[in-house]
Amino acid sequence: MLKNHITALASCVALLFGATACGPALVIQNVDYSQPVESVLSPASDHSVQDLRYAVSFSIQSILEEEGVDSVSEIRLIRGHKGYYFVTASGFSNVYVFEPGESELQLKTIINVAEEGLGQPAFNQRGDHIELIDRATGQTTLVTEEGIR
Amino acid sequence: MKRIITYTYSTFAVLLLVAGSATTLFAQESDYETVQDFRSGYSEVVNWIDNSVSSSDLDEISNSISSLESDYSGHSELLNSALYPDTFSDLMDDLRSRYDAAEQNITTIEELNERVRELSEELAEFRAGLSDMDAQVEDLQTRLNRSESNARQLSGLVQQYRQSLENRDEFVAEFLEELLNKYETLDAQTASELAEAAESMDDNPIDLVKTILGDYINYTDQSTALDAGDYLRMKAQRIYFNEVWAGIGESLSNVYAPDRSVQANQEVTDLLSNWNASIENKLWSALTTAFSQNDIDLANFTSASAFYNALSGYVDSAVAEASESNREEDMERYRNFSSFWNGTVKGTWGEFLMNGEVLTYSQLSEIDQKLENWNEAAVPVSNLMLILFLVSLVVIIGLIVMLARKRGDA
Repeated sequence: MLKNHITALASCVALLFGATACGPALVIQNVDYSQPVESVLSPASDHSVQDLRYAVSFSIQSILEEEGVDSVSEIRLIRGHKGYYFVTASGFSNVYVFEPGESELQLKTIINVAEEGLGQPAFNQRGDHIELIDRATGQTTLVTEEGIR
Repeated sequence: MKRIITYTYSTFAVLLLVAGSATTLFAQESDYETVQDFRSGYSEVVNWIDNSVSSSDLDEISNSISSLESDYSGHSELLNSALYPDTFSDLMDDLRSRYDAAEQNITTIEELNERVRELSEELAEFRAGLSDMDAQVEDLQTRLNRSESNARQLSGLVQQYRQSLENRDEFVAEFLEELLNKYETLDAQTASELAEAAESMDDNPIDLVKTILGDYINYTDQSTALDAGDYLRMKAQRIYFNEVWAGIGESLSNVYAPDRSVQANQEVTDLLSNWNASIENKLWSALTTAFSQNDIDLANFTSASAFYNALSGYVDSAVAEASESNREEDMERYRNFSSFWNGTVKGTWGEFLMNGEVLTYSQLSEIDQKLENWNEAAVPVSNLMLILFLVSLVVIIGLIVMLARKRGDA
């Protein structure tokens, strides 16, 4: 009886070690996801956007609802060096920061940058942060996934 | 003019674009806009290069390429990332490569255009000169046809007419020589390029050649005041024309009648044949007349070989007669033939006879050889020695008789 218990316990331990050995032990550090130049994307009628160059597509429906607007002619999208996506558009008050997941973009931060809405926003990749400029006002704001820098 | 305006606008547009881009750069604005502006500037220059048609376009394009490079060289890193897999220097090299190709094309086009322009001017100049000469020839022909002048004046008109035809021949020969120089060694690629450029020409050398040949045929058919020497000169001119056409006909047809080159070539060849037929139609009877007027009656002939046979037969027959009869008349007949042969046939017509392929050099030599035989056969046997002998004999006998008488007296 005892022998059977010991055998079962040993099997469980071996299985545990085996499972651990097959897990994601390989981790690559210091990956730079930065997109050198923002993408300017025109939404389709179903509010989906597709970035052919960087191979990503998603719907901006929820962002539009958050901003309280029905549609935009184009959105500005840039990926920071850590891999977060920064999204905004003309007329938006905020910059939306998303963390990519498995078939999803999880909202990380909403950065309020202009109460009255942005005029002609544009993202520039600037190393460890993103530079947001509004060409209509000449205002420049430096942002990260945590908020305004 | 419209094209010039179009390119002026293009130049202005590119300069504005480059200037606008520079302003954007100084304002340190959107990287995206910087990339987009560079792409637009690049595309504009490419488009401009593709549509460039003159050296002046190229000068402005070269400036624009330099401006584009200097304005964006400070952003080469950004552009290299954004333009991947291309790079900023790749695109600038591409522009310069396109520019070099366009420059080469434009240089070729401008050279061709220049050639076409020169050719058009030459053709126009030649047509004008030919027209003047034709008017002169026709005027003299008309005056000859209507002439009721005395023989001396008529002779003067004929001389003028003949001279005007000779001048026209020389003028045409110079034109043919130029054509020969231009087209004899034309390679296929140049011919093709020239054919494209020549589409804009109002006149072309083939039409001009056909006009010249048509005029020649008319003059040959209508002339009434020409003699054997004139027709021999025409024959030599036709042979030269034929040789030139054989050298350049295919090239000229490919350049100026690319869609119907074989037909165009054949049309000229047919005209050359017609001209030859017209000349020969007059030449053989004119030669017969010329010999006949010098008391040389040749057998009938209607070809070059038959003409030689008639000449040869005449001399052979004369040699045989002289050998047999050995009369003073034979010598006289020889002198007459020899004089006409050496003075007119060889002296005046010799070059045309050979160049016109009527008699060859060896055929002329053979007749010369026969003439020597004729000369020997025609010399009458002399009685002088017999007479001198008889006179000497009489004198000697006389002296003997006188001496005998003197002795008898003594």
